[in-house]
Amino acid sequence: MTDPMSEPMTGQKMTGQKMTGQKTTGQKTTGHGMKSPAEGNGPVRKQPLQLGGREHWRSLDQLSGTKEFRGWVEREFPENATELSDPSRRGVLKLMAASLGLAGLTACQRPVEQILPFSRGVEDTIPGKAVYYATSMPLGGVSTGLLVESNDGRPTKIEGNPKHPSSLGACSAYAQASVLGLYDPDRSQAVYRAGNRSSWGDFQAFAGPHFSNAGDGAGLRFLSEPISSPSLEAVRSHVLRKFPKAKWTEYAPLDSGAAKAGSEIAFGQQAGPRLVPRFAYDKADVILSLDHDFLGLDEPTTIPTREFSRRRRVSSEKDSMNRLYMVEAQYSVTGAMADHRLRMRLGDVRRFAEALAAELGLLPPTLRVLNNGQSKEDRWVSALARDLKANTGRCLVVAGPRQPAAVHALTYWINEALGNLGETVSFVETGKAEKPSAEAGRGTNTQPLEELAAEMAAGQVDTLVILGGNPAYNAPADFDFTANLKKVANTIHLGLERDETAVLCQWHLPEAHYLEAWGDGRAHDGTVSLQQPLIQPLYGGKSASELLAMVSSHENLRGYDIVRNYWLARWASSAGEKTWRRCLHDGLVPDTAYTVSRPKVNAKAIRAALKLAPAATSDGIEIGFYPDSGVYDGRFTNNGWLQEAPDPMTKLTWDNAALMSAATASALGVEPGDVVSIEAAGGETMMPVFIQPGHADRSISLALGYGRMQCGQVGQGTGRNAYLIRTAAGSGFLPGAEVRKTGQKHVLASTQEHQSMEGRPLVREATLEDYTEHPNFATEAVEHPPLLSLYEEPSYDQGHQWGMAIDLNSCVGCNACLVACQSENNIPVVGKDEVLRGREMHWIRLDRYYAGDPEDPQAVSQPVNCQQCENAPCENVCPVAATAHSPEGLNDMAYNRCVGTRYCANNCPYKVRRFNFFDFSEGLAEVQKMAFNPNVTVRVRGVMEKCTYCVQRIQEKKIAARADGRPLEDGEIKTACQQTCPAEAIVFGDINDAESRVSKLKAQNRDYAMLGELNTKPRTTYLAKLRNPNPELT
Amino acid sequence: MSDLAIYSPAHGDALAEVSPPLVEGQPSHSKVTDDVAGVTERAVPRAWYVAISISGALTLMLVGMLAHQVNTGVGVWGNNAPVFWGWPITNFVFWVGIGHAGTLISAVLFLFRQRWRTSINRFAEAMTLFAVVCAAIFPVFHVGRVWRAYWLLPLPNSMDMWPNFRSPLLWDVFAVSTYATVSAMFWYVGLIPDLATMRDRAKTPRRRRIFGLLSLGWRGSNRQWRHYEKAYLLLAGLSTPLVLSVHSIVSFDFAVAVIPGWHTTIFPPYFVAGAIFSGFAMVVTLMVILRWVFSLEHLVTMGHLEKMNKIILATGTIVGYAYGIEFFTAWYSGNPYETFVFLNRAMGPYAWAYWTMVSCNVIFPQLFWFKRVRTSIPAMFAISIFVNVGMWFERFVIVTTSLHRDYLPSSWGYFSPTMIDILTFVGTIGLFFTLILLFVRFLPIIAISEVKGAIEADHPAH
Amino acid sequence: MNAVENKSAENPFAESPFVGDEVEQTEITTAPEAALGEIYAAIAEFESSHELLAAVKEVRQRGYTALDTMTPFPVHGMDEAIGLKHSRLGWLVLALGATGAGCALLLQWWTGAVDYPLNIGGKPLFAIEFAMPVTFELLVLFAAFAAVIGMLSWNGLPRLYHPAFNYSRFEGASNDRFLLVIEKEDPLFEAEASAEMLRELGGANVELVEP
Repeated sequence: MTDPMSEPMTGQKMTGQKMTGQKTTGQKTTGHGMKSPAEGNGPVRKQPLQLGGREHWRSLDQLSGTKEFRGWVEREFPENATELSDPSRRGVLKLMAASLGLAGLTACQRPVEQILPFSRGVEDTIPGKAVYYATSMPLGGVSTGLLVESNDGRPTKIEGNPKHPSSLGACSAYAQASVLGLYDPDRSQAVYRAGNRSSWGDFQAFAGPHFSNAGDGAGLRFLSEPISSPSLEAVRSHVLRKFPKAKWTEYAPLDSGAAKAGSEIAFGQQAGPRLVPRFAYDKADVILSLDHDFLGLDEPTTIPTREFSRRRRVSSEKDSMNRLYMVEAQYSVTGAMADHRLRMRLGDVRRFAEALAAELGLLPPTLRVLNNGQSKEDRWVSALARDLKANTGRCLVVAGPRQPAAVHALTYWINEALGNLGETVSFVETGKAEKPSAEAGRGTNTQPLEELAAEMAAGQVDTLVILGGNPAYNAPADFDFTANLKKVANTIHLGLERDETAVLCQWHLPEAHYLEAWGDGRAHDGTVSLQQPLIQPLYGGKSASELLAMVSSHENLRGYDIVRNYWLARWASSAGEKTWRRCLHDGLVPDTAYTVSRPKVNAKAIRAALKLAPAATSDGIEIGFYPDSGVYDGRFTNNGWLQEAPDPMTKLTWDNAALMSAATASALGVEPGDVVSIEAAGGETMMPVFIQPGHADRSISLALGYGRMQCGQVGQGTGRNAYLIRTAAGSGFLPGAEVRKTGQKHVLASTQEHQSMEGRPLVREATLEDYTEHPNFATEAVEHPPLLSLYEEPSYDQGHQWGMAIDLNSCVGCNACLVACQSENNIPVVGKDEVLRGREMHWIRLDRYYAGDPEDPQAVSQPVNCQQCENAPCENVCPVAATAHSPEGLNDMAYNRCVGTRYCANNCPYKVRRFNFFDFSEGLAEVQKMAFNPNVTVRVRGVMEKCTYCVQRIQEKKIAARADGRPLEDGEIKTACQQTCPAEAIVFGDINDAESRVSKLKAQNRDYAMLGELNTKPRTTYLAKLRNPNPELT
Repeated sequence: MSDLAIYSPAHGDALAEVSPPLVEGQPSHSKVTDDVAGVTERAVPRAWYVAISISGALTLMLVGMLAHQVNTGVGVWGNNAPVFWGWPITNFVFWVGIGHAGTLISAVLFLFRQRWRTSINRFAEAMTLFAVVCAAIFPVFHVGRVWRAYWLLPLPNSMDMWPNFRSPLLWDVFAVSTYATVSAMFWYVGLIPDLATMRDRAKTPRRRRIFGLLSLGWRGSNRQWRHYEKAYLLLAGLSTPLVLSVHSIVSFDFAVAVIPGWHTTIFPPYFVAGAIFSGFAMVVTLMVILRWVFSLEHLVTMGHLEKMNKIILATGTIVGYAYGIEFFTAWYSGNPYETFVFLNRAMGPYAWAYWTMVSCNVIFPQLFWFKRVRTSIPAMFAISIFVNVGMWFERFVIVTTSLHRDYLPSSWGYFSPTMIDILTFVGTIGLFFTLILLFVRFLPIIAISEVKGAIEADHPAH
Repeated sequence: MNAVENKSAENPFAESPFVGDEVEQTEITTAPEAALGEIYAAIAEFESSHELLAAVKEVRQRGYTALDTMTPFPVHGMDEAIGLKHSRLGWLVLALGATGAGCALLLQWWTGAVDYPLNIGGKPLFAIEFAMPVTFELLVLFAAFAAVIGMLSWNGLPRLYHPAFNYSRFEGASNDRFLLVIEKEDPLFEAEASAEMLRELGGANVELVEP
């Protein structure tokens, strides 16, 4: 029995695992009643599996040629997924191994085009040494600039691009996890025609004549997600010139349509440039958010978090900080950060905004009274108005995407009245506006899709080309898109997976992942960033522009040429090549930001719009629709990392639920885990109940993106589909829903079962006022006898001594650090069943506690990783000395020495140690192994693991510094969690260096050691949380 | 009493009253030999075959469960975070506890010249060994990588690493293995003269050969007895502190940890008392059955049983006191975590386990204050069973309730065993009884020569 | 008789109870007629430990020294009666116990502080506090082994054959009979005379047992 941990994962090692993995695969699949080729033709399947490492892929070439194997692999994804009677994750992973046949064929080749690494040139790449490339990831109509670590041609880790305005070095959990999506064996792997395997050749044979006969394109329609890519826009206009009668529709289930529509109302230049607001959260002293989760999921970038947290950074009791008022129905992370939070049904938010406007004298005073005039809400409005007036030009009022356009317009007006325009709010021109879509106060801009659906229903559409997106799953329920799609003669779908839309289309074409394709895109401020691939398409996918080139000009243009030619045409030919290289290297094209304009608010239009907007019906239950912290709008449903990343507030994994207040639940007579049927607008969906403290009463929040019907093995059967009741008019929220108890039960897997801190001084918190009076409140929170030791304790005053400081005042509790850590440290996904047993493996977790009134509590979030105690309780009890202390103060874990007594985990007061109860990495497909960080061991079954402060990064930088013969600089070493933290709440460094940032933070009077009274001497310490409430409201 | 007066004129009746006979009916030496050795020679009762086939089947199931666990992973058990130790360690402490009566009865009572021990010590020692065997299974198999368990021993290895002598778990390795070895030697040394007896009365060459080899050629020569008695005395003297040390060290596994509910100085005495308590309870349970099945009532008399019940009463009261004082210390320390753990034990999710423990260990044994209960076979049998159950729950309460809610509420959880957990434990019970049944079938379950010596000492003038 | 000799010739354990069967047993009972040269000792049988003790005292009176008894349980006062000193086993046990403790301390100090020093939880590399449990356990372990192995070797065990087994009613010694042995080594030993003396002391079934 050799020990996989004792040596690095070499080719041979992989072979060893692979062979066992495959054998079990054979059994498993037959066990599930699927035909394994082993039955048909044993040797064919077995022979290549003997081989490992590089040869492996070559051998699979012939392998995937054999009929049995192709047949076998095709059967699996995705239409036969249902054959999995029991989709236990480990079984699933074993199954996935089968699809490696079509995986790594071209895997480890570098793209043939010349691309430029961020720091070093390709030519001097040292094998085993990571190279970084700048690229960008499109999500929610915004491209975020990234730096991607590539190990020997495999992109393995995503980081933010410090130079990029939408990143500033940070990136979201979605971006972090997108690398797993790249290697997802469930991704669409081939061209399909009418459900049968086909090829790009066949498609071209069809497309050529078909589109040349399309004439002026009368019956030709294109459907894509909102495009922010200049080069793609160019291709689009080229296509539309070629087919003048063709139409192009954009649709995404989540977008900033309301904000845009709002600006159209407020500034009413339908013909003019489309104006989009930009908020400078770091300039505002007082912020009012009307249902806008700008620190969470309602913003496509992490920039608001970065800006907001700047104003929460307090170095001493003399500093000031901003104040945040939050009005919302669901408890969001923004609500958790708020100094004042008002829980309110989404439908009532408009009334609140109007009352505020009235208080500010913009609307007739009759609107001022909300309830009886004495209610909490009323006191809020007046106090708030005073606070805002007192901070004219330094305050900010924002509205969320679920709110009707009129409310957005009203906030712009209020901001103007408060003199914030040009200060904290600016409007940028994002190209020309289409015709107005402001009426009916829709959350998203669904009108174009509605028109398309109507045309499809009327049979006016002959050919529909769907470029990305999954409308069959996420189109508004009242459009009946699925049925209409069947009415279209020729349907072509380009997508990353064979999803609900793909299986309904004649043609399904595999799309290239953003890490595989050339492209470009605009940041939230308009700056263009280039998207350069790090690897050739694993499954022969193509990008949207490549496909368009194919159908419009019948030629195989490479994405590289499309993007490059587009930009070279814009630069002086002399400087062109040089600029191109510079832009690739930096990852962005300078001076491409949107132009800022100073529009005037049209008050009359806004008053009119407010009347237009539907009155909030206060009867019945209201349903709000939210993006999911894990799967977003459903595009990440097959991503194990995101599925298992606990929701920041509910801590739910692998599921969505009907979030409601305890009062609502008792009114409905339901308990947590009860499945309720929600009927609204002609649709119905089933959802398990989850009690969310602080949720508005008579309101239910649903996360989108679950309950996928056509999905990979990971996402199959997770959660329930909220789109079934999401209509165009009610894409933000839906009043008057029917909620019934069904009698069914559903077990929800939450990673935190206990919500109260039990009065223990874990997260220490004070108001800014108390802080100024008691600057040392954090350390005074616990009274304990002098901490003495039986022994003389070792001194750590020599060399580097690593430590970490986490500022609870800036941490908003987004999951970025958690997923970044998972990616950096090869942390396995364990699946719902294991999460239910408390066996999740995350090395850093976010503890969320509620305090105060159970109906309307305050919430705090605390990242907890290994505290690297100097007197580590875990080390003393390990019988085999598998965990010991390094001279640099790290609590080291020697996996290959661990026998798995689990005593250390018992004795860890912080419960940060994770145990491999099973072989969680067993049966991974070869392609999935490509996502592994080669510098971190993959742990076997039966050993303990935990946060190492990213010791591999520490060593890498130390070696680099020694090689250059220079001392390590402070901040040179960044742990994965620190690097991606949008709030810059985590700081790591040398506590022996008095000048280091971490030392300075630890020197602050807010600094405290959690459970320090146990004399564990943790190296991770926390900066106490502060709130800045309005004296009038306390 | 009267018969004693007849048989031993040397004793005045008054004296006879205060020191009842150790064996009833004053049997001759040869009768003792026949009664005890006869058990292994007479035809086997059908009940024995029924019993061994059941326990044997359970033992096979144990093997299956362990194989499954080793092959799949510790995850097949209910262990989770934060309860990383679940049933396996509970069962380990439970069995080790039972394994204490034997050596205690033999060694301590021997030192105190409690001659009444002679009728039960042999069986108690055997029980000790078998219990320790069952106990040893759990710490070995509960580790994540059983094939690496030998790393707990200070053996030179490829990594040139040594075990960590700061870890209570390592102390455990030494304590339990020493205890097993010494108990085995103590038991075997005690057996040698009786094995010679078996050899000499052997009817068949095969028996004679086997017992001849086992008895090492013992001939009861005075020169041998001289060293033999010395050795036995020394072993008793060594075993007595050993018994105390072993369960103290087992308790260190918990007491040395930082977990509230574990980190307490009362554990060593508390655990030792508990061990003696459960050990004697198990002896009573089994003795009541055996003396009845093999009709040895005159050798294992009511006097013996009553004495053991008195010890159960005493240790049970100590244990009850420990339960109480734990709460006092928790409150008096003013440590909020400590206080919480104990309130949580009595009123938290595991209150049912806690109160089962208290009623079984503290309330029922108190009935032994009444002689009528103390001397009633059904009563003592029932109560000893209760004590066995209660003591298992004590270990469960200590292991689980302390872990499931420790410092950070965010990581609190609940533990529930899987079917594998349960079947594995049942399997060890099967193993235990298999070994017991083999023992009573093939070896003298009562120390023949010691009983003779006791009779002799009782009636010097005989 | 001859049969017996042959047996013993080809197999030293021939007469030991482990190989003999019923038939041989009966032959052994013919031992008294054995020639003087081949005698191990004279053995007599007594009813109770008290009679045995009395007899032993008497025999000592008459100056016999090479005496032994074989009894089903240790008879108190027998050592003094025969004139044996106390067993020295205690000293052996003490010595090995000390050795055990020493080894334990050495092991823990050398592995922890010398051969592979590791900073574990900020505790010292070696400290008497955490070394105690293992030290104690090894002390007991070594001492126990000393007691058992010492006892066996000083008793000359295991020894599967012994002349005493040739006594026709030897099995009584492990049941309810008490045997007195006068060995040939005794300067006063004269086969018939010694046997006669045993008879008059009340010894039953006196035999001259061959080696």
